[in-house]
Amino acid sequence: MTVARPRPRQLAGRPELYTSYAQHLRLLNTTPKRRAVLALAVVAFALPFVYDDQTLRLLTLGFAAAIGAIGLNIVTGYAGQVTLGHAFFLAIGAYTAAALSGDPDGRTIGFGVSNVAVWLLAAGLVAAFFGVLVAPLATRLRGLYLAIVTLGLVFLGEHVFKEWEELTGGPGVGREGPVPVLFGNQLNAPGDMFTGEQKLYLLTLVLLVVFAVLARNLARSKVGRAFAAIRDRDVAASVIGVSLTHYKVLAFAASSFYAGCAGAMLYTITGFIEPGSFNLLLSVQYIAMVLIGGVGTVSGSIMGAMFITLLPRVTRELPGFAPFVSSDASAPLNVFQIETVLYGLLIIGFLLFEPRGLYGVWIRLRNYWKSWPFSY
Amino acid sequence: MSVAEATDARTRTTTIATRIRDRARDTPRTVAMREKDFGIWQEVTWADYWEQVTLVGHALLALGVEPGDRVAVHSENRREWLYSDLGAVAVRAVTVGLYPTNPAPEVAYLLSHSGSKILIAEDQEQVDKALDVLDQLPDLERVVYLEPRGIRRRYDNPKLLYWQDFLAVGAAHRDEHPGAVDERMSQARPDDVMTLVYTSGTTGPPKGAMLSIANVEFAITKLVEAGGFTSPPPNDRDILLSYLPLCHVAERIFTTWFNASAGVQVNFAESIATVQADLREIQPTILFGVPRIWEKILAGVNIKLASASPGKRLLSRFWLRVADRIGDTLAGTGGNHTLKTRLWYAVGWLFLFRPLRDRIGMRKVRYAASGAAPIAPDVLKFFMGVGVPMHEVYGMTENSAIATGNRPGRVKLGTVGEPHDGIELRIDEQTGEILTRHPGVFLGYWRNPEATARAVDADGWLHTGDVGEWVDGTHVKITDRMKDIIITAGGKNVAPSEIENALKASEFVKEAVVIGDRRPYLSALIGIELDTVGDWAQRRRIPYTTYRDLSERPEVIELVQGLVNRVNERFASAEQIKTFRMLPKELDHEDGELTATQKVKRAALSERFADLVESMYRTPPGGRA
Repeated sequence: MTVARPRPRQLAGRPELYTSYAQHLRLLNTTPKRRAVLALAVVAFALPFVYDDQTLRLLTLGFAAAIGAIGLNIVTGYAGQVTLGHAFFLAIGAYTAAALSGDPDGRTIGFGVSNVAVWLLAAGLVAAFFGVLVAPLATRLRGLYLAIVTLGLVFLGEHVFKEWEELTGGPGVGREGPVPVLFGNQLNAPGDMFTGEQKLYLLTLVLLVVFAVLARNLARSKVGRAFAAIRDRDVAASVIGVSLTHYKVLAFAASSFYAGCAGAMLYTITGFIEPGSFNLLLSVQYIAMVLIGGVGTVSGSIMGAMFITLLPRVTRELPGFAPFVSSDASAPLNVFQIETVLYGLLIIGFLLFEPRGLYGVWIRLRNYWKSWPFSY
Repeated sequence: MSVAEATDARTRTTTIATRIRDRARDTPRTVAMREKDFGIWQEVTWADYWEQVTLVGHALLALGVEPGDRVAVHSENRREWLYSDLGAVAVRAVTVGLYPTNPAPEVAYLLSHSGSKILIAEDQEQVDKALDVLDQLPDLERVVYLEPRGIRRRYDNPKLLYWQDFLAVGAAHRDEHPGAVDERMSQARPDDVMTLVYTSGTTGPPKGAMLSIANVEFAITKLVEAGGFTSPPPNDRDILLSYLPLCHVAERIFTTWFNASAGVQVNFAESIATVQADLREIQPTILFGVPRIWEKILAGVNIKLASASPGKRLLSRFWLRVADRIGDTLAGTGGNHTLKTRLWYAVGWLFLFRPLRDRIGMRKVRYAASGAAPIAPDVLKFFMGVGVPMHEVYGMTENSAIATGNRPGRVKLGTVGEPHDGIELRIDEQTGEILTRHPGVFLGYWRNPEATARAVDADGWLHTGDVGEWVDGTHVKITDRMKDIIITAGGKNVAPSEIENALKASEFVKEAVVIGDRRPYLSALIGIELDTVGDWAQRRRIPYTTYRDLSERPEVIELVQGLVNRVNERFASAEQIKTFRMLPKELDHEDGELTATQKVKRAALSERFADLVESMYRTPPGGRA
């Protein structure tokens, strides 16, 4: 008597009873989680109809930065390969997209392919190609040495972008950002129903959701477990059969793909690319996003990116409260200095007191209630 | 289908095996049981279950098992335990359960006394116990092992057979003789011995109580279908955790019989050590526990609350006081909420009771039962207060556990409840012994007619050996085991278990043994609970190394003295403990101090710790312990 096996089913009200491996790995495994994520999504999609364009622009920048931060987290947080070269990959993505979608008759290189789908994919792929080129370094180097070498990438890139004026427009001049057109609709210009900011906001939000879910899936798959093994101890990982070369190349490729797409989106939103902006500071900002948000987490990357992007908005308000702080860049104590100091303090503070970042703060908060009425 | 129907017509006697077969036919795809394997609770449907049972049945037939032959199972609770048990019942063999903790000499005694033909042993540990004494076991023909690790390709004893090979033998036999198991099953008669349940035996060697198919069927009507142990009666949506030894009649009822007769989904705990974690995952709806388990869970709650953050501690302390008051009210009303307790409970549910019950795995428990040993009413009251419907039940192997039970809404704390409907139970006027008479009374002790004659008299009354009294004419209160009653040198009768349980209600006390038979006054040997006292000592920065060292710390002795003093206040002068000593070690089954069901062997204990006992009577009481 053989009867077809029923699909293992979860028992109601027993979130910790797993009757199958798939259920164990489910992303949204409990009803409260599903409801919370749904609520969050509803709020995120409702925001463009609540906030003014100025705020939306800032949020959109945060979303795009979040894609980049997730990318950095894949290689640094999940696979444990510290890289300072993230700015370089952002630049590759930005210039690929700008060149593809640019005006063929313009001052700088342009091919007039302004379809978002095309240039976004191309930006990711070209960046990923460079990632693969760089990856072999990571199979030879570890930790600080890898960080130093990837730092070299940033300087190489900075030099090339400054010199290659046909592409970048040259230092101090720059070129226009990518032109986003989707279904014949120019996204960065006001339309019949939505303003340009609203359209870009929605597009970036959708992209962020897609990229975040992809990253989460990567992390909980075989690849993600291989990354974690390499992060925890590469020698041990190779002993248990994880091919270091294969997975390090994969990590760099995925990470730079994310960075390329993020770069393309970022400069679509700002609308202008200055070749000098892809410097060490930009890389450090992304490292800060990952560290402040939470190493090895997707939601942490998003939190960190939003935090770093929205921070200037808060510090710009400072002169109103503290009259000795000036908003003039030439003043002895100005908001820009405060911002830089704040980055440093935040990184030091988080590393010392909450190494798991904002995500750790959330986990701590959640566990306080989860362990109720006990403490563990 | 026609084959099954034809079999049905021929089968006149319903057994637990036919019940499983019918479930496999009616609801083949419903879940019958789960067992955790690499973190995943693997599900077994009724069709799978019956398939395995028939394979085991065929394998037993192939190995030449005749009706009435004994098949021993020596394993922790797991799927194969049930497959073996049911397979044996299907071919009219007799299942004999062995406790996984049985040491080798006891295994030798049980296997030789029962004359088991086949032994199904879990792993190398249990196989070794049998192989050590193989020359004393002429009847033992095969040893089937479930876990091959350490056995396969290392042991070359020709009697060994791996479980998978055993099933293959069954499959081959089924191909050759299809329907052989069905045929044997249809010959089953109500007075067939179905299982031998060896009682743990606090005095003398274990005795094998013979339970017949009719006994078990009667137990199923009374305890399962009439709601004797779970009211309202269990159904196939109920979920149960199987964690106590299956060779004990209580767990056999809750696991095997509940499952076969009501379709309750059985989940096997990974081990007795992981019960608390398993409870949290499974969140059973029906929960049976022995006092030790309830005491341990209560102690765990207290430890964890004591180490919670101040805010949480403050809140939970307040709500536990409320729970205490609710428990008091419920104890007075028989378990029925009043409007006031209901309101208090509803608010407390938000703050403490819901999360607390979730953490201890009792959020969905609709009926909890305590039995198999006496328990302190305070422990039961705690669980009632936090909202776990707790019921003390009473029964013993010899009457298929059919005697009394507290019913929802008519709970009387400190009693074991009312006799089940349709059974006879009386208390002997002279001796105060509880006697029962009903179709669940066992057939007798295996190969021990003298003991049988002592247990069941000519009129069919079973002498339980428990002394009891009526409370309000409806409920039975058990004073103690008859043979445990202490008569002091002053001629006073004292029931030690009441005093012992009052002591054990404290989370710091694991064992308490009251001594005083033919002595001038009562004394006690007390064993501490290592976890809780260790935690207590750590928080007070009292250094200690071993169990013995901790036991003998003056601070700990002072703590226990305080507990003893508080317990003494509740008893008359002759029943007070005048002095006590700390047990220097944790009592253990392997060392012969406890029975397989963790009951103290008094005789063995007073022999082993004779010098401790004597020292209490050399110095006059009142001197420091």
